[in-house]
Amino acid sequence: MVNDEDIVGARRAVPLMTSTTEPDKSIPLRLRLRVPAEAVVIFSPLLQAGFFVTARTGCSVKTLLCSQFGIDEEYVTRRITTMFLDSRPVDKMESTLVRDGATLALSCAMPGLVGATLRRGGFYAAFREGISCREESGEIRAGIGSVRIKLFNLLMGELGPLFLGRGITVGASALAELLQKSDEKFRSSCYDVTADAAPTNMALLQEGAPFLHRENVRLTVLFDPPNELPEDDL
Amino acid sequence: MDKIARIDMGGVGGPTVTVTEVGEYAGLGGRAMTSIIVATEVHPLAHPLGAENKLVISPGMLSGTAGAMTGRLSVGCKSPLTGTIKESNAGGQAAQVLARLGYAAVILEGKPTTDDLYKLYINKDGIKLTVDNSLRLLDNYPAVAKLRGEYGDKVAYMTIGSAGERKLLSASIACTDPELRPTRHCGRGGVGAVMGAKGIKAIIMDDAGMKMRPPKEPERYRDANRKFVEGLRKHPVTGEGLPAYGTNILTNILNEAGGYPTKNFRTGVYAGGSKLSGEAQAELEIKRGGSATHGCHRGCVIQCSGIYNDANGNYVTKQPEYETVWSHGGHCGIDDLDTVATLDYMDDNIGVDTIEMGVTIGVAMDAGVIEFGDKEGAIRLVNEVGLGTPLGRILGSGAAITGKVFGVERVPVVKDQALPAYDPRPIQGIGVTYATTTQGADHTAGYAIATNILKVGGDVDPLKTEGQVELSRNLQIATAAIDSTGMCLFIAFAIMDQPETFQALLDMLGSFYGITMTGDDVVALGKKVLSAERDFNKRAGFTAAHDRLPRFFYNEPVAPHNQVFQITDEELDTVFNW
Repeated sequence: MVNDEDIVGARRAVPLMTSTTEPDKSIPLRLRLRVPAEAVVIFSPLLQAGFFVTARTGCSVKTLLCSQFGIDEEYVTRRITTMFLDSRPVDKMESTLVRDGATLALSCAMPGLVGATLRRGGFYAAFREGISCREESGEIRAGIGSVRIKLFNLLMGELGPLFLGRGITVGASALAELLQKSDEKFRSSCYDVTADAAPTNMALLQEGAPFLHRENVRLTVLFDPPNELPEDDL
Repeated sequence: MDKIARIDMGGVGGPTVTVTEVGEYAGLGGRAMTSIIVATEVHPLAHPLGAENKLVISPGMLSGTAGAMTGRLSVGCKSPLTGTIKESNAGGQAAQVLARLGYAAVILEGKPTTDDLYKLYINKDGIKLTVDNSLRLLDNYPAVAKLRGEYGDKVAYMTIGSAGERKLLSASIACTDPELRPTRHCGRGGVGAVMGAKGIKAIIMDDAGMKMRPPKEPERYRDANRKFVEGLRKHPVTGEGLPAYGTNILTNILNEAGGYPTKNFRTGVYAGGSKLSGEAQAELEIKRGGSATHGCHRGCVIQCSGIYNDANGNYVTKQPEYETVWSHGGHCGIDDLDTVATLDYMDDNIGVDTIEMGVTIGVAMDAGVIEFGDKEGAIRLVNEVGLGTPLGRILGSGAAITGKVFGVERVPVVKDQALPAYDPRPIQGIGVTYATTTQGADHTAGYAIATNILKVGGDVDPLKTEGQVELSRNLQIATAAIDSTGMCLFIAFAIMDQPETFQALLDMLGSFYGITMTGDDVVALGKKVLSAERDFNKRAGFTAAHDRLPRFFYNEPVAPHNQVFQITDEELDTVFNW
């Protein structure tokens, strides 16, 4: 699990690594690579299990998605019809506030009665009235923090490149497992691969050596054609 | 569909076949047909496996036409699992073929006087009943393979596996899909045991020489069907989500909501959920040369099913549904899709309901028969069912009996039928349906999310708690009606959001029968069906006390929301007030 310190750590200057010095475990490995656009599916396990992003917290869900992440408002309204904040279905994204450390899960419209029940502001919202996200009565401080984002179903392909291009923080072991299981076709399609700003290659990553002494990885994936969102400037 | 065939297995001198005009049951189809025949003709106190019970098989009102999504087949009887009236429906090819042959219903009745096993062959020339003891104890896949050698590939098959022959209470009836795999099951309520009790192993339907059922107003029907298909294709659920990921798209969502019953309803979040998700499943299916998009019958435009292959690219089973992935997966603490797929195949082959079987294994795990998460153990237990061992017969008789035999307190059943994959504590409204439906715990009994369009019972404020009972009532009414049309319930998503698609459905029904159909007519049909079912259950001895969830749902808060079921008994008792 990544905490706020990890996120802060991700923004520190990366120390020089030598063969005699082990890196600070709490400082995420900075991994960047470039892949063809269709390779986004490889990252699905990370996207649905959840990743951490740095954000200005204390704002509404809608502000976070539209103003900070740059997702089109029309898309958010029409496409992201199901969302959960800390496991609670969100009905009013304009007034529901996101606190530091929150988990925000995003999904398209779901099938089934329960899919309809969980839909944002849906006709069957009463069915889950007891777990619905309430507007916060206490004060939520504005500031820089971390938010865990989960992307489900069609949103993985549609929003995944945007977040991956912006940079996400994930557990080192999860990423190592993903790369270990990846096939040759994917690995050979990766290029411009760097770890902590030094060139590396997929064979080394697959073996897992760069992840050995790190808890987290700050992963940035650039796609061809390019991602639409700029890299995280926070 | 102007005739009814009655197969009396207890006829003097052997089974007899009688074909009559549809008569008093004219205009009915699907669940309306099965439930009204059972309610009218079956003694409510009949033993479900005895001579007095009847197994009614009926295509939907629009089955056998050129209309999209019209391939659901209803099977009804008094359930040996629940003791209530039962309607269980499935996709596959059977409904379309039976409807084109002109049968509004085929009714199996009486009790055979010998232990011979029969197969029923239906074609344009009539019905032939033949003894075939070579099929004895063959499971569904080998049984269909053997029958294909005799009847070929241009027919539809309905079969029971060894579970049906052994009259196990979770036994299903398999219907073949377009590739003639026995993958689509009338699963719930033990209908396969009733077919087994009638001594019928297989029904072969051959519509060679028959044409699609013609509508009374062909042009209007064609136009309505076109608009209906357009509506399904443009809707994000029926046009994108279901075709891409199937029903298992729900795993991540239910898990995120804390409504994913885990390890026999002990908690609402499963740590291994993402490994079981529809997203992971679809990726694996495509990677292995299977498919994440496949229709269970011809004429399906949603294509929510798929083909699941093993690591070598060999067929294992059809794409397991969300409820199956849950029952054999998270409910049992198993986070491995290959294990779930193997169990899905075994269920289909032996011929048992995947929900009932998975929930039962979880109850057995709770009893300590095997540990939660024991993949090999779960396969071994289902194999016992297929072998018909004493343990297998207990497990094959469902969660309620297994819980009693092993002394388990936490047994998730209503009217002895296992709860599906949605915890009623965080999502209380579905608990209302589980508790009160005429069928025993069944999510599909209140599934037709079109009540806003239908205006069943007037407008309900969905954001008020007290709306839950009204919403459940209205859902059950709408579902009973759609179950009668032969339409797949998944059409409801497009109907809910797109009034023009609902109008297209009404126009399909109206133009086919040459009438004007309104939303009120749909509501009246749903109420008629539910009233008949409730009346049957009342005469069978069911009271308000049976319309309750198990006590642990009221006493054990479930994480992460730590809620218990809070709908009062008094509120539950008002569900059928109309």
